[in-house]
Amino acid sequence: MTHERIVDARLHLLSRQVLDADGEPVRAVDDLELVGPDGQPARAGAEVRVGAILVGPVLFVRLFGGAVPVSRQPRIAWEDVGHVGTAIELTVPSDRLDADWVEHWLRDHVVGRIPGGRHDPEADG
Amino acid sequence: MKKVLGVALGILTAIGGFVDIGDLVTNAVVGSRFGLSLVWVVALGVVGICLFASMAGRVAAVSGRATFEIIRERLGPKAAGANLVASFAINLLTLTAEIGGIALALHLVSSVEPRLWIPVAALAVWLVLWRVKFQVMENVAGLMGLLLVGFGVALFLLGPDWGELMRQAVPPSPPSTEHPAAYWYYAVALFGAAMTPYEVFFFSSGAVEERWTAKDLTMNRANVLIGFPLGGLLSVAIAACAAVVLLPAGIEVSSLSQIVLPVAQAGGVLLLALVIIGIVAATFGAALETALSSGYSLAQYLGWSWGKFRRPARAARFHVTMVVAILLGVGILMTSVDPIAVTEMSVVFSAVALPLTYVPILVVANDPQYMGCHVNGRVVNALGTVYLVIVVVAAVAAIPLMIATGAGS
Repeated sequence: MTHERIVDARLHLLSRQVLDADGEPVRAVDDLELVGPDGQPARAGAEVRVGAILVGPVLFVRLFGGAVPVSRQPRIAWEDVGHVGTAIELTVPSDRLDADWVEHWLRDHVVGRIPGGRHDPEADG
Repeated sequence: MKKVLGVALGILTAIGGFVDIGDLVTNAVVGSRFGLSLVWVVALGVVGICLFASMAGRVAAVSGRATFEIIRERLGPKAAGANLVASFAINLLTLTAEIGGIALALHLVSSVEPRLWIPVAALAVWLVLWRVKFQVMENVAGLMGLLLVGFGVALFLLGPDWGELMRQAVPPSPPSTEHPAAYWYYAVALFGAAMTPYEVFFFSSGAVEERWTAKDLTMNRANVLIGFPLGGLLSVAIAACAAVVLLPAGIEVSSLSQIVLPVAQAGGVLLLALVIIGIVAATFGAALETALSSGYSLAQYLGWSWGKFRRPARAARFHVTMVVAILLGVGILMTSVDPIAVTEMSVVFSAVALPLTYVPILVVANDPQYMGCHVNGRVVNALGTVYLVIVVVAAVAAIPLMIATGAGS
């Protein structure tokens, strides 16, 4: 038997930390994309569900207004979410998420290239 | 045995972390102008930081969520964003002051121009952040910072009139030569220095770095309840030294060499040398903590991966943030601004930002979804509420007092 519980989008989803399958932080939930039951854009008066977690530029839209082109909008599909607790846990590793491209770019082009950048600090004294 | 060692080292950390350049300068300035008549503020600040640091540590240990994640989650992106901008700016000012403080202390021992020491100090801070293990970093800075006990030793060697010091402290009696507004301005500054938000950012994130769980709550309490009060005692000793030597001589503190003057007078070169090592270690430790806190607060607000326990490449944006913060700090110092003045500004502004940090901690510490059975008890909640009122009063009063007194002059 599954326990049903009410999840308040504003309280339990927005601004929560998103963790990947390994427990590594990915982003915080900056906004949610709502879609209709058939995956089409949500319509007023019709049933909707959460289609994706939006991160990145959409935060500035929420703070200052404006709009982000849909093609430039990093998203994490709701199908990848495994568990909603005090953090939102995904079932995929962050390396597979396009939403995390800034982190990957900085890792590969800046931080990873500085000597010691891939050194494990827990490995020695 | 390992546990005892853990507690002992944690306590040392708290002492080293509590007394930074802000506390050094503010306490010495206050001692040289108001004697011990503001000791009650240090006591008030110590109780407050104990209360909220232990709460933030408990939240981090039980839920695994550090303070700025909670601020974002509870206040939403707008209010938390405002807090982030304010906290980040204060953090940057404090980091600037700490790097400047290291340079000034090294200048005292070497008589090499402080501006030449600044890049050296900044590079050293970055290397430690880049390479050294979190626990090692904390313990070395904390242990060496303990040398600041030299201020206490100096106080005894000076052989002051203890009765007179007590009369200044209880009931608080500010010197008649000072304006009441200046007295209250410094009260707010001291309170801000004791309760700087970076201390809870660092403390709670440190709990995550050290992978604390609900089992470590005793350690959390011991660290806080012993470490911060001992740090407070050191602060009082610094103020008392200034009250005994500098107040009667009419010297107003405006440089680091004046802060250590009583130590040199009481204990000679040897004690002075030890205290200066202590100052270098304490400011170095605080520079590490503020640099980390700038990374922690930004990364936790945006949900990036953070922490020194990860390989730098696994927390790339976090490390880039810290490098940028250090470079900005060096840039500010290179304009040859006086680090002591930067410090005095940063503690007053931190008083302004206090409520936005401490309200969410209190709220989440009462949320059973996060805390399970470890929610706040009634006494803690009552005290926390009283402190929120004090914090709000201090925050509201800070800027008007600053303008009215011309920053205390």
